[in-house]
This record gives sequence, structure tokens and C-alpha cells, in this order.
Amino acid sequence: MEKFQTVLDQFLKHHSALSYGLVTLLTAGGERIFSSVVFACPCSAAWNLPYGLVFLLVPALALFLLGYVLSARTWRLLTGCCAPGTRACGGSGLRGLLVCTHVSAAAALAPLTWVAVALLGGAFYECAASGSPFFAERLCRDSEECKAQLPLVPCGQAGSAKVQDLLKELKAQSQVLGWVLIAVVITVLLVFTAVTRCLSPVSFLQLKFWKIYLEQEQQILKTQATEHATELAKENIKCFFECSRSKEHCTPSMKDWQQISALYKFNPKDQYYSMLHKYVNRREKSHSVKSSEGDAFVPILGFVDSPGITSVAEL
Amino acid sequence: MKKELAPPSAAATAAVPQRKKKDFPSSRTSTMDAFQGLLKFFLNQKTAIGYSFMALLTLGGERLFSLVAFKCPCSAENTVYGLAFLFAPAWVLLILGFFLNNRSWRLFTGCCVNPRKIFPRGHGCRFFYVLGQITLNSLVAPVMWLSVALLNGTFYECAMSGTKSAGLLDLICKGKPKECWEELHKVSCGKTSMTPTDNEELQLSLQAQSQILGWCLICSASFFSLVSTCYGRCRSKVSYLQMTFWKTYVEKEKEQLENSFLDYASKLSMRNLKCFFENKRPEAFPMPSFAAWEAASELYSFHQTRQHYSTLHKVVEDGLDLCPEEDETTMVLVGTAEPL
Repeated sequence: MEKFQTVLDQFLKHHSALSYGLVTLLTAGGERIFSSVVFACPCSAAWNLPYGLVFLLVPALALFLLGYVLSARTWRLLTGCCAPGTRACGGSGLRGLLVCTHVSAAAALAPLTWVAVALLGGAFYECAASGSPFFAERLCRDSEECKAQLPLVPCGQAGSAKVQDLLKELKAQSQVLGWVLIAVVITVLLVFTAVTRCLSPVSFLQLKFWKIYLEQEQQILKTQATEHATELAKENIKCFFECSRSKEHCTPSMKDWQQISALYKFNPKDQYYSMLHKYVNRREKSHSVKSSEGDAFVPILGFVDSPGITSVAEL
Repeated sequence: MKKELAPPSAAATAAVPQRKKKDFPSSRTSTMDAFQGLLKFFLNQKTAIGYSFMALLTLGGERLFSLVAFKCPCSAENTVYGLAFLFAPAWVLLILGFFLNNRSWRLFTGCCVNPRKIFPRGHGCRFFYVLGQITLNSLVAPVMWLSVALLNGTFYECAMSGTKSAGLLDLICKGKPKECWEELHKVSCGKTSMTPTDNEELQLSLQAQSQILGWCLICSASFFSLVSTCYGRCRSKVSYLQMTFWKTYVEKEKEQLENSFLDYASKLSMRNLKCFFENKRPEAFPMPSFAAWEAASELYSFHQTRQHYSTLHKVVEDGLDLCPEEDETTMVLVGTAEPL
């Protein structure tokens, strides 16, 4: 059984790569289902283009918004923003913008996968292009008959065989576009990751330790919070039923919680791995850790605010 | 009489279960041992199994693509289409290889902040040398894909049939009817105005060229990897047995490092959370300093006079005052054992 545990551990070590693979597989499977079950090109000059574009782009938009919802950083940034009496959320405008860009870039991965897989499949692009006047001009040159029959091509109902053959060209264009999109996205991803790693003020092993620390902190926070909440609840209910004065149960104040919920800021002078770590080690009791001199926004440390892929679901 | 009878029966009953205990577990443990031995053998051949798995994956992916997605358009766009299907997956596999290789992140982390770390005085080429090694490691998957795709033949056939270059057309259409020159791009769909025999002949000759190219690629890639491994071993300053020990050490250190990271991380987070919930001052928790982390994260470099099996070993034995010595050389083979 230990050997199986070893094999499982090997898989869990690459869990982020595996989860991205899983998302890709799910998107690919979803696209296959859509194009074979739900999608039926209307084959009319007026409806082909909007129908194809809707099937191509609307699921992408939905996945993009879902990416925002599932990212813990979004909620960390937005919670308590508009409450009266609080200062501007996310710190200064530039910092907020940088954090937003970071979150958007992470949320854009699933929709781009969908678009790439849909283009490789070819059905949506064929339908959209056959209804577009621009493509009619390019593919048919001057033949009026061809331009009239082009919207019927995805349903295989074009009159002449020559026009029907244009379907293969459209599919080929769609697939080449899909491959180009995949190649470009993955190259940009590599360059971006290399640049953020390059700009990291923290060394490789320390980053690795940092990620493990955050996961542990999340787990232990959950167990400790459950324990603490149980004790506090028991205490309160006991005092309610026994009508006795409740003794002061030591629980962190609202200000404490606000301090540790702020977005993480890296300070090269200290070695704190989270806002909680910073707060617990502050010099004086009344000292605020929300901002201090030397705080900087470091792109590579974005993971500090959103440890684990299911952090929102659990929190 | 009764007394005499009783002890033998007691002895008999005592003997029987013992005999049973001896026989039953030995057969069970021997099968478990054999199973464990087999599993251990497979886990020891991790690299070979990993590469075979990658080969199977590329093969499966290629079959999937040709069956499901690839349909030669039989028009002027043949070349672009065929080349896109051949080279885009290879490029994606190369980049994925970079992503999944831990050495590339060890190399790149913090390089802009402190360029002196990557280009130390007198060893400026080390960065490019390590980058070259990482690229060679990542080239395995793309080469596998390309060889499998070429052995299949459909992608190459589509790409070559769309060629407009006079030289290539002469080569392919030599001795064929003149329709070949104009209608070569329709050959994959069988829609040329030539006889079906001629059409099939052209398709088969293109596929044959593709398969020959595929075999040449496999042969040259395996020959090149053999030659480079031999060259690396030849230039190695460390004996064979020590190298085997070195690889085992590096693996064990990696395991131990992960375990201690987990251990220390839970202790530190436990302390922090306890202090947060109970509103207490935290007690001191000794952790390595910034400089210690930086020193331990450096890429390993072999030193002739000292016997250090990893950067961590070097840091621990030398203390924190590290400065690059004049006669350091980069270890060729331990790097390929992929430390962290």
C-alpha cells in the first residue's frame, strides 16, 4: 500500500499541471458535446454568421466570468469595498489595476482553451464564415452563383460540387487558426511566466516552501477555526440556557480579521509568508500591518492571496 | 490413564495450529513479496517507463488527430495545413517540456533582480549551457511526435501535395501524366483527372517518402542521444559507482526536502494560528535567512577538490560565506538527474 501511496504522491506533486490538464479535457469534451448534439447550422445567409459567432464566443465569455467568480483574489479584493467608512479597496489605483490584470489573465485560460478546441473542431467557424460577406468575396471571387450557394455549404446542400468543396477549405482555415492560437497562447504564457519568475525577489526553494506553507496554513486555519467556533458556540449556548453571565471568551476582534484579510504586500526587509504571519509578529499590539514603508507589489507572489484551487469553495 | 491421555492431546492441539501458522503465512508473504518486488522493479525503471508513457501518449494523440480532426483540404492551402498539423503540436510539446522542467524555473527565478547570480564573474556561459541542456531535454517529446506523424504519412502527403516549387514538382511528378503538375493538390482526396492507379501511385510514393523521413529522424535522434551521453560520460570527472551514488543521493535529498518543508510549514502555521486565535505574542521560530535560501537555490556546480553532492550539501558544510571559486566547472551528468 505504501507503494501505491508513493505513486499517488507523484501525481499530487504535479497537481497544478494535472488540474490544468483536467480543465482542458473538460473543455474539449464540452465542445465535442456541443458541436455534435446541440449545434445545427441554420444554413441561411442572414443567420449563419450570428449563430456561429454566438456558439463560439458566448461559452467563452461564460467561462471567463466563471474564472473570476472562482478566483479567491477577486473576493478578497471586493469584500468590504463599498461598506461605509472603509477607505478605497485594494490600495491605490495602480495596485488595484495590476491585481485586476493578474486575475483577468488567470481567468482567460479556460475561454481561450474553448475557442482553440472549437476552432480545431471546425463546425462553428464553418457556419460563421459561410454566412460572412467578407469570406464570400474572398472564396467566391466573382461568381454570383457561388456567393448565393455558400451559406448552404455547412449542411451539404450546395448545388454544385465545386462550391461544396469550399467546406473543406473553411475547415482547414479554422484548424490552422486553432493551432496558431494554441501556439501563440502557450508561447505568451511561457514568456510571461519566465519574466515574472525573473523578477522574483525570492529564490526558487523559498518559493517552493512558501507555497507549501500557504497550503498548510489554509488547512490548519480551517481546523482551528472549526474548533474555535465550536467552543465559542458551546459557550454561548450554555450561557443562554443557564442564564448565567458569559465569561469573556477570547476571540479575535473585527479589526484583527480585517488586518489578516488584506491583500498581501511583500516587504524585502521582513520574511513573512502571509498577512497572518505578519500580523502575529507585529511589534506593538496596536500596530497596523496593512501597509508599511518598503511594501511592493510582486507579480510572482500573487499565489499568496489565493492558495489552492478550491479555496473559495472552502472559505 | 486419563492423565496420560490428556497431555498428548494437548500437545497435539498445540502442535497443529503452529504447523498451520507456519504454512499459511509463508505462501501469502511469498506472493506479496513477489508482487512488491515487481512493483519495486517498475518504480526503479521510472525514467524508462516515463519515456514509454510519453511515446504512447504521442502515438495515441497522433492517431486521434488523423482520425478525428485531420482532413486535407485538397486546395492551394495544403502546404500550410499540413505543416501546421506537423509543427504546431511539436512546438506546444516543446514549450510544455520547458514548463514541466524544474531546472528551468530554478534557472530563471530571480535572474532579473540579481543578474550577477546567473552570470557570475568568469562563468558567463553557464546560463547558456544550462539553457541548452534544458532545451535538449525538452526536445524529446516533439521529436517523438514528429517521428510518429511522419511514419503515419498523411500530414506529409497533404503538405507536399500543395507545393508550388518547380524543383519539388519535378521530383514528385517525374514520369507521370502532365495533369500531375497542375492537379497534385487534389491527390489526397483522389479527385484528380488521372487514372485511379496513377493517383494511388502518387499517394503511395508521397507516403513512402514520409515514412523514410520518419525513420531517418528516429535513427539520427537516437544516434545523437547515444553520442552525447557517451561524450558526457567520457568527460565526467567522477567514477561510475560514485555517479550512481550521486543520483541516489539527489533523489533522496529531494524526498527529504519535501518532507521537511511540509513539517516546518505545518509547525510554523500552527504557531501563527494559535497566536492569532488566542491573541498571544509568538515565541521565536528559527528559520533560514534570506541569504541562506538564495545560496541553497543556486544551480549546482561541481568542485574538483571538495566532495559535495548538492548545493544544499555545499551550503551546509561551507556556512553562508560562499563566493564562486576560480576553478569551478559545471557538472555535466548530475544536472541531467534533475535535482528538484
